[in-house]
Amino acid sequence: MLEVSNLAAGYDANAVVRGVSVSVNEGEAVAIIGSNGAGKTTFLRAVCGLLPISEGEVLYDGNSIADMPVHEVARAGISFVPAERHLFPEMNVAENLALGAYPHRPDPDQLSLVFDLFPRLAERRRQAAGTMSGGEQQMLAVARALMSQPRLLILDEPTTGLAPGLAVQAYESLSVLRSHGMTILVAEQQVPLVLGLADRGYVLENGEIKLEGRSDELRDNPTVRRAYLGVV
Amino acid sequence: MTTEDLDSASGTSSVLGGGGQGRQVSSLTAFAAIAVVGIVLALVPLWIGDSRTLMGVAVSGLLFACYAIAFNLIFGSTGQLFLAVGAIAGVGAYGSAIISDRLGLPFPISMLLATGLAMLIGGGFSWIAVRRSLGIIFTGIVTLTFSLGFDNLLLGQRSITGGETGYVVDAGSDTFLRQQIPPYYVFLGLVLFYLIGYFLLHRSHIGWAFRALRDDEVAAELAGVNVAKYRIYAGTIGGGMLGFAGALWAHVEGFISPATFTFVHVDVPVIVMVVFGGIGTLMGPIVGSAFFTYIGEVLASFSQLRLIAEGALLIVLFLTLPNGVVGALRSGVSRLRGRRATR
Amino acid sequence: MTAVILDGIVLGLQFGLLGVGLTIVYGMGGILNLAYGQMAVVAAIVVSFALKWGLPVVPAVVLGIVTAAVIGLVLNLTILKPVYRRRGEGRVLLSLLVTIGVAFIIDGLLVWRFPLEALGLSIGGDPVLILGVPMRTGSLLASAITILAGGSLIYFFRATTAGKAIRSVIQDEVGAQLCGVNPAAVRTLIFTLSGALAGLVAVTQSMTSPVTISSGFDITILALLVTVVGGLGSIRGAFLAGLLLGLVNAASSFYIGSYITTIILLGAAALTILIRPSGLFGKHA
Repeated sequence: MLEVSNLAAGYDANAVVRGVSVSVNEGEAVAIIGSNGAGKTTFLRAVCGLLPISEGEVLYDGNSIADMPVHEVARAGISFVPAERHLFPEMNVAENLALGAYPHRPDPDQLSLVFDLFPRLAERRRQAAGTMSGGEQQMLAVARALMSQPRLLILDEPTTGLAPGLAVQAYESLSVLRSHGMTILVAEQQVPLVLGLADRGYVLENGEIKLEGRSDELRDNPTVRRAYLGVV
Repeated sequence: MTTEDLDSASGTSSVLGGGGQGRQVSSLTAFAAIAVVGIVLALVPLWIGDSRTLMGVAVSGLLFACYAIAFNLIFGSTGQLFLAVGAIAGVGAYGSAIISDRLGLPFPISMLLATGLAMLIGGGFSWIAVRRSLGIIFTGIVTLTFSLGFDNLLLGQRSITGGETGYVVDAGSDTFLRQQIPPYYVFLGLVLFYLIGYFLLHRSHIGWAFRALRDDEVAAELAGVNVAKYRIYAGTIGGGMLGFAGALWAHVEGFISPATFTFVHVDVPVIVMVVFGGIGTLMGPIVGSAFFTYIGEVLASFSQLRLIAEGALLIVLFLTLPNGVVGALRSGVSRLRGRRATR
Repeated sequence: MTAVILDGIVLGLQFGLLGVGLTIVYGMGGILNLAYGQMAVVAAIVVSFALKWGLPVVPAVVLGIVTAAVIGLVLNLTILKPVYRRRGEGRVLLSLLVTIGVAFIIDGLLVWRFPLEALGLSIGGDPVLILGVPMRTGSLLASAITILAGGSLIYFFRATTAGKAIRSVIQDEVGAQLCGVNPAAVRTLIFTLSGALAGLVAVTQSMTSPVTISSGFDITILALLVTVVGGLGSIRGAFLAGLLLGLVNAASSFYIGSYITTIILLGAAALTILIRPSGLFGKHA
């Protein structure tokens, strides 16, 4: 579904990521693993159009989206949940969700699906997003992304600022989505959690892909174990 | 910091251009340029000295050159958007006129007093802006409200100021200031004085501080530059320049009215002149005011076109030529010489 | 005293709607449109001409409002394009300067071509007694229209998809883009709406006192004052500030005098900036 080849992107003249090639097939869950500063966020932002791409190609269902503006990428069926979430602080849960469905009206079935997945949000329908806790905001961000019934869900470090218990819950919700057939691309620092969800993964270091493979392969890989799993 | 933050940090200085700051002009070049300007302008009366109207236009042009140099100092050197150039000059003008006529003080004294008041106001604006951390926009709005308020004050207090019909200035009416040619040289002297002062100011440590704080205010503060102090200097000195020029005008012209000092009549043309000539450059204000005085004369019969021309120029200049004519010339010359013009 | 208060409210409603037109453009795109008053004046002139050519009142008014809206549209798509490329304070500064230029051009054109034009809509009928005070029908109609417009705006922003999209861009532009909202399209919509509001206020104002060619700058300043006091970018703020300043204006004009009144209004805005720069309801300082 998503085919990124040889991507280079960065800020001003500096390329933060270079020569990155990633592919995501329909129905898969793919992980991008890396520590802080590895370039995960830069990569994802470039794919979604928030950052200009200096080199390489991004194909979505065979069509290039490399120069597509952000809102068109969103309308094409790719929903991105950034690490900063970018919720609408003065709007309540219902309004945030409604905008997720833009330009259409929110689909009632999708809404109940989302509320089933995140019952806490149903309780706080009228609460302003800016007043919610970190965990609730994270749920809302994912829920909003789902309202457009995307074909590809991209998440950047969904566990940012979440207590461990909430982080586990987040990935449980993602697993549920996965089991419904959602295609997912996640960038994550918390490797054990994400490898539990993903079929395949890429290891990003200093802006380049150092390793790729199936998640069980990665889990057994000694470099990965040492660097990210804390196993000596 | 995202790219958005970075852009907004440098946003205002890029609007201003700022091509004039990087390269230090040698004293010789600067004084030579000032001398040339002085000589050329000194010859103007040979050409138009017979016509009272044309001499009046020329003096007015020199007045605007004074305004432009002051604005260049305040906005160009320290990034403070004072939209009260006309009003502060008006404080000088009306202040001096009223003090000398009503209180009977000799007009040189009243001019000094009025200039002092203008300095207080200019410095006061800078001080307030610093104390309340007003950004460039809010400084602009506050000074604009002052300009409009001052205009209304003049119109409303007609017993003191003569209101809309204006004020006839007695003081100075029996001096050489009211003749046809001498005022031109008086104002020319003032312009040259301001130019030299501007140059010397920028060569000193004060000028260094100005450049530092314009390039990057945060970095300047961290480097120990007391941004507040230098802004207040610029506001005070600039205010004084405006006030004195206005006061001089009052005694030379013999007649002032609120319309002479409004935002529309003074501030906007001054902004156009300075940006056209090249903000932050030494000669920019001269080039700008000379050019516009000339054009203004040429278009005198089409006064409504003047408004349109000013508006169009404002747009075109700020969108395409933020460094103005002098700035563009400089980059052109540097490119010819094979060196990149520094920012 | 009641008369002053009622006058103040009538005036205040106008001020409020005026401020809204300016504030939404600031809140939306960080643009300070100082050509706002001129857009209103153009609308007034168009209505005046339309009436002279025999058009009935309502279509003439609609024509005027649409003209102002179109000016907003064109401005946004042309001259403001390079302005949008900048960010933050740089954008506001550039927009301020560039729109002054536009204001001068429009003013110059109007003064050149139609120096004596003005629009004054006289609404017939005897004064109506409100709380014992005779109010002109013109004032009442203007107020009614303003309230209706205000209510429609509130409904628009709260309940319609387009309105929510606009609010979303104001609150978090990146978030809005991620939801599929096209910020450029929304900005165009807002500017057009702002133009329409300017036109509407010109028309309602002309019901109480004539709108002339030279009113442009005064209208802009008034809108700016209301916007500043209410908080740049806040619609609620604009309405509240408008009412406040309207009452102050009425009281001051009645008890003191017109020049001082202007100074007081200017002072109110300056004081707001000095004491509470975010205004009554503003978010951005």
